[in-house]
Amino acid sequence: MDSVFFYRNTDKTVSSSGALRKMKIALQPNISVAGWPTEAGSNALAGFKALENATVAERAVKESAQLVGYTRMSEFGFGLKDSMAGAALKKNAADAELVLDLAGEARLSAARAGVCGFKPSYGLVSRFGLAGLIPSMEAYGILSSEIKNIRDILQSVAGPDERDSSLPDEKTPELKPAKINPKKTTLGVIKEILKEMPAKERESFEGKLNEFKKAGFTIKELSFPDFSQFLAVHKIVGSVEASSCAGRYDSVRYGKREPGAKNWNEMYLSSRGAAFGTLLKSYLIQGAYFQFEGYSAYENACRLRARLVNQMKSLTGHSDFIILPAINTAAAENSATLAETYAQFIYTAFANVTGQPALYLPDKKGEGLQLTAARLADGRLLDMGEYLISGGGK
Amino acid sequence: MEFEAVIGLEIHIELNCATKLFCDCPNNPGDEPNINTCPVCLWFPGASPRLSRAALEKAALLCLSLNAEIQSTSAFDQKVYYYPDLPKGYQLSQAHLPLSRGGWIDITDEDGSVKRLRIHHIHMEEDVAKLVHEMEGRKPVSLVDFNRAGAPLVEIVSEPDFRTPHHAMEFLKALRAQVRNVGSSECSMENGTMRADANISIRPKGTSQMNTKVEVKNMNSVRHVGDAIAYEISRQSAAVQAGEKIVLHTRLWDPEKKVTTPMRAKFEGPCVPDPCVPVIKLSGAEIEALRARLPEMPAVRAERFVKQYGLSAEEASYLSTDAEMAVYFENLIKEGVAARTAMHWLTTQLMPAVKDKRQELWQTSVTPARFAALLKMLAKDEINANAAREVLTHLFESDESPEAIVSAKGFKQVSDRGEIDSLIDKVLGDQPGAVADFKNGQAKALGFLIGQAMQASGGKANPKVIREILTKKLEALCKA
Repeated sequence: MDSVFFYRNTDKTVSSSGALRKMKIALQPNISVAGWPTEAGSNALAGFKALENATVAERAVKESAQLVGYTRMSEFGFGLKDSMAGAALKKNAADAELVLDLAGEARLSAARAGVCGFKPSYGLVSRFGLAGLIPSMEAYGILSSEIKNIRDILQSVAGPDERDSSLPDEKTPELKPAKINPKKTTLGVIKEILKEMPAKERESFEGKLNEFKKAGFTIKELSFPDFSQFLAVHKIVGSVEASSCAGRYDSVRYGKREPGAKNWNEMYLSSRGAAFGTLLKSYLIQGAYFQFEGYSAYENACRLRARLVNQMKSLTGHSDFIILPAINTAAAENSATLAETYAQFIYTAFANVTGQPALYLPDKKGEGLQLTAARLADGRLLDMGEYLISGGGK
Repeated sequence: MEFEAVIGLEIHIELNCATKLFCDCPNNPGDEPNINTCPVCLWFPGASPRLSRAALEKAALLCLSLNAEIQSTSAFDQKVYYYPDLPKGYQLSQAHLPLSRGGWIDITDEDGSVKRLRIHHIHMEEDVAKLVHEMEGRKPVSLVDFNRAGAPLVEIVSEPDFRTPHHAMEFLKALRAQVRNVGSSECSMENGTMRADANISIRPKGTSQMNTKVEVKNMNSVRHVGDAIAYEISRQSAAVQAGEKIVLHTRLWDPEKKVTTPMRAKFEGPCVPDPCVPVIKLSGAEIEALRARLPEMPAVRAERFVKQYGLSAEEASYLSTDAEMAVYFENLIKEGVAARTAMHWLTTQLMPAVKDKRQELWQTSVTPARFAALLKMLAKDEINANAAREVLTHLFESDESPEAIVSAKGFKQVSDRGEIDSLIDKVLGDQPGAVADFKNGQAKALGFLIGQAMQASGGKANPKVIREILTKKLEALCKA
């Protein structure tokens, strides 16, 4: 059994003229490619083969990318357990990977692999063909050691798609590279995050801020007392959407049906009970709880989400980029429970709640940074990433 | 104690769109099972719903036809429940932000007064799949036909303004006329394109309290809605008189036994906002553009017909209810047919014939121009009414003009006095008994003799001329 790939594409034919020529891209098996086993890491889709190509896959192939296969993933992309995202890059089996980012999975996989991980703005890339879980938060993360690869892929796949009507009706922003001038660039730091960081991490983080200051950037302290609420909102709203989204995996039209049920209520219970793994099951049950019993908490979470989005908008207006940590070193490496999974995403879930872009940049010590900017400032964020990765314009 | 009923209706109407609500599949639920399906309406992984603009427009026109106020913002929610007729574990419906609010229909109450029945709101939703329960040998199986899954529906929720079965039936009839008139649906309860559920509670007459209601379903005609409500009112009244408590539940109307029986409670799931279907925003200008597309409403048209064509209120109201019939009527008038003739022949001859042949008025081969040509020959006494009815049946079967049919089949009316004169002489000679009866003062004999003369002419003689000559001749015989 291949430890990294769930499915390898043997068809190597590619057109030679596109912007992604010679680029090998690995996908997760929740991204439809017609005829491939799009099982999304779940027994609920065991044996399911996609009928159509996801827009991202179609557009990447149109630009001459070579889709090398599906990497092993956690069930429906939730959490990092069982995910091999990033491993194909480490093994040089791909130049880039597309990894679903529900709460920060793509960025943290990049951290594990020591590569760049980018989550684009919500609504920039069509989700048509994605066997998703949290429609209002999920985005395709792009992993690569080169920011240029990330930018080329984003430019190839971004933009309106009539097959995904959830895309906001707005102009695709400029994604072409542009220069960064440190003297004209302000970097924001959220003081409440800094305050909560363990001493050792904080020291390292502040060390980096000093380097930025030396390079000529203006560092600005920002206040966001409610930052920790992002995860609370994500827990409630995300799990409610996931519970609905997984409703279609009922064994009626596809997927495996458990034998022996005496009626359809039993059929649902036994088939869905057998199909989903423990982590996803507890996630879906949590969502069902907020749909049925805790609906008022869900309503409050939606209101709180709107408020947090506005607060973040005002914050990103006060600086060009915001710098944050990405990895919670206090969290268990291999999360098995809901609580452990959430603990991993305390610094990343905010961008899924607001829909703003976020970029993980690795460093040699494995203490990478996370950068974010206003929604649709994806091009500028990649400019900044390029600037920092290349050693600060030296 | 005297009771009065408090009744509200929930009406589902299937829009007559070419495609389903969220995909391009044909909206033909009656086709061979599972033919009209795609990854969206089967909710395959990765599928994403796209709201049909045509369905939104038809729904909005329906709202406007019922005097409802289209909302500038409306959105879809997920009604969560698990059932095999629902391919994704939730039904897309508008629970929190419906397409329209308010609205009303004016009906004529039993005492002749006008009663306004208000609408609470109208929302859009998708239909669910059809379940067919069969036996495979001794094993029961449930088959699912997804042709209907995702078909565009609207639900009209009334205020509890109704007090009698009459109110509910008149509301449904007017609703059907108004919605048919804007072309959004056929609204046939018999064919299932309109389904009405009634919520009924009773209270001591004159009080304003709202008591526990009972929902009644499964009525498939307007008449059944009236019958079911009447039954439920008397059932509840008797129960309360007997000291029983009314509990919230759903009952099914049994059209055979004419009773309602309790059904098993259906699980009511929660409604959460859907994150995939975009929020619907309609500007004031867009709503006005839709309003400009509204045809003349039946009540307004009826009033105009009375004024313009001198029809009675009943005649005008009957003609106006059906937009197609009203248009046909006015086309006959444009062709030069007198209003009263047009009204009479359209409603008593053409409509029954069209219905009998299972055709639609707008697509029948008896076009207004052909039918008008026939009626004009009748008006000019070129044919008589019997012949006109005969020619009409031929008009359905051939493309020939009424004039050609009349001359080919010899329907032309004989008004030649000499010809009729000799015909009558022969009849009088053959029927001495009837002539004697007439002489003895039996007026009936005249009718019999006219009939005989008509028959002798092969139905072609002008009845007016027969009557005239026959009367003269009989009077002469009496004097002799």
